Amino acid sequence: MEIQDIIVSHDNTRNHLDGVTTAIQKGKVTTIIGPNGCGKSTLLSVMSRNNMPKSGHVSLENKDLVHYKSKEFAKKLAIVYQQNDVPKDLTIEKLVSFGRLPHNTMLKRNLEEDAKAIDWALACTNLLEKRNNDLEALSGGERQRVWIAMALAQQSEILCLDEPTTYLDIYYQLELLELVKTLNEEHDLTIIMVLHDINQAIRYSDHIILMNAGHIVAEGVPRDVITKEVIKEVYGVEAIFNEDEQLGLYMVPLGI
Amino acid sequence: MTKKLVSFTIVIVLLLVTVVYAATTGSIKMGFFEFIGALFDKGNSQMEAIRDLRFPRIIVALFAGAALSVSGVLLQSVMRNPLADAGVIGISSGAAFVQLFIISFFPALFFMTPVLAFMGGAMACALVFALSWKSGLSPLKLILVGIAINAMFTGLTEAFISLGGSLNTSASSVIGSNLTMRTWKDVSTIVTYGSVGLVAALTLYSWCNLLVLQDKTAKSLGFNVARARLLIAAVAVLLSAISVVVAGVISFVGLLVPHIARRLVGYDHKVLIPFTALAGALLILVADTIGRTIVAPLEIPASTIMAIIGGPFLIFLLRKE
Repeated sequence: MEIQDIIVSHDNTRNHLDGVTTAIQKGKVTTIIGPNGCGKSTLLSVMSRNNMPKSGHVSLENKDLVHYKSKEFAKKLAIVYQQNDVPKDLTIEKLVSFGRLPHNTMLKRNLEEDAKAIDWALACTNLLEKRNNDLEALSGGERQRVWIAMALAQQSEILCLDEPTTYLDIYYQLELLELVKTLNEEHDLTIIMVLHDINQAIRYSDHIILMNAGHIVAEGVPRDVITKEVIKEVYGVEAIFNEDEQLGLYMVPLGI
Repeated sequence: MTKKLVSFTIVIVLLLVTVVYAATTGSIKMGFFEFIGALFDKGNSQMEAIRDLRFPRIIVALFAGAALSVSGVLLQSVMRNPLADAGVIGISSGAAFVQLFIISFFPALFFMTPVLAFMGGAMACALVFALSWKSGLSPLKLILVGIAINAMFTGLTEAFISLGGSLNTSASSVIGSNLTMRTWKDVSTIVTYGSVGLVAALTLYSWCNLLVLQDKTAKSLGFNVARARLLIAAVAVLLSAISVVVAGVISFVGLLVPHIARRLVGYDHKVLIPFTALAGALLILVADTIGRTIVAPLEIPASTIMAIIGGPFLIFLLRKE
């Protein structure tokens, strides 16, 4: 996916994205990080076509996003948002089946393929046994997995995740990131996600895009992007970096 | 599963019982077996009177109830708001006003009454939507805007009738709903348009189900949210407009019936819409039958009975919000 000179303004007073150019590599885990309000979620929403840029182009497989039909695009890219209302009286399986929408029309559906895709999505997210449970009865971590399962049922090549770990406790955060890793490694999904936690970003990403004030400050493999100097400059935080065999590179913030 | 089945069975049985009771009760009385026998007896003069006076009234009540309730379900789904009801938020009174206004000036357009009512309802619906959109269609805001719109159109209608005086002889039937003196012509109007609306509503069930998702999530599935909203709202307006044309403004049905229906058969619109149609038909027929028998020979309009039950029910729902 190619992103070229994107300018986005929500209110016409300032540019929330100010000339962003980058590319997303196929089959990799790309993580967008940066301080609050830096435009990372906006960038994700431009890539997922939820936000139309004022100028600039995003293209996928050499085709501009604006030229995709909505269902056609939904077969290429799925997105899970940070917070979702939980509908009442809906089973996990029913919600996940909504993910099949782009593959069906009102008159034509392939039930066999639908069932296969739904089973696969439920298996990936470890929800097979709970498929008939009501959404309302689930924990926060399980709910997040259900939304991911719905996105998986779309069977797209790209999966976007907007701050998937924000409202979860540490156990479910790790569980979710391991799931993302599995999806990338075993099922070849291209992952684009927005994360807050720098250490998680270092550990789970192939490629990091660091943003500040609507610009990309640095991007590349984690150890090139995340350095003492950059963290000081972007977040205004003093941090020490360490590396050990078990953990790899990690950061400990010292103070402001 | 069994709860759904039991609910459907009970409503259908009650519906049949009420239809027979409504047909055999009033100034002309008949026993059940006498009634069944008379149904197939062309010469029975009592049956002729029932056929001409009560059958149209019963059919109109059934269809108006079904149409208004289903319109409530659809509006609630489109606005993602459990308090939406065509009567409460002014769609019915908008339909009533526009229809009355245009017919008064262009009586020749009388045959287009359903279309005019639809336009009026659509106008009111668009107004409510536009004015409460900014608040994210929050239930309370929507109700406030809707009540204001409703008051405006009701006021306009009343003012218009006062000014017009003798010009509008048929006007009073528009604001107060009374199901007396319905004819087979009314039946054919409501059955034709009502069936179109109800069938359309049934085919839109999967869209209604998808609208429980947030807009951005639904969009990310390639679902055209705007188009779905527009179409479902149009069907809802059609259903409420057609019942205004034939049965007048009846509020609260679209609020009460779907709410109870969800408790009984759940939130899946595939089941909810047909159940709501049946339960709504039952409710209005019961209201109308009580209204015309309780203080006979005087009559209490079905809309009045619905207002008496519906008002407290709305307060109950608002407290729960």
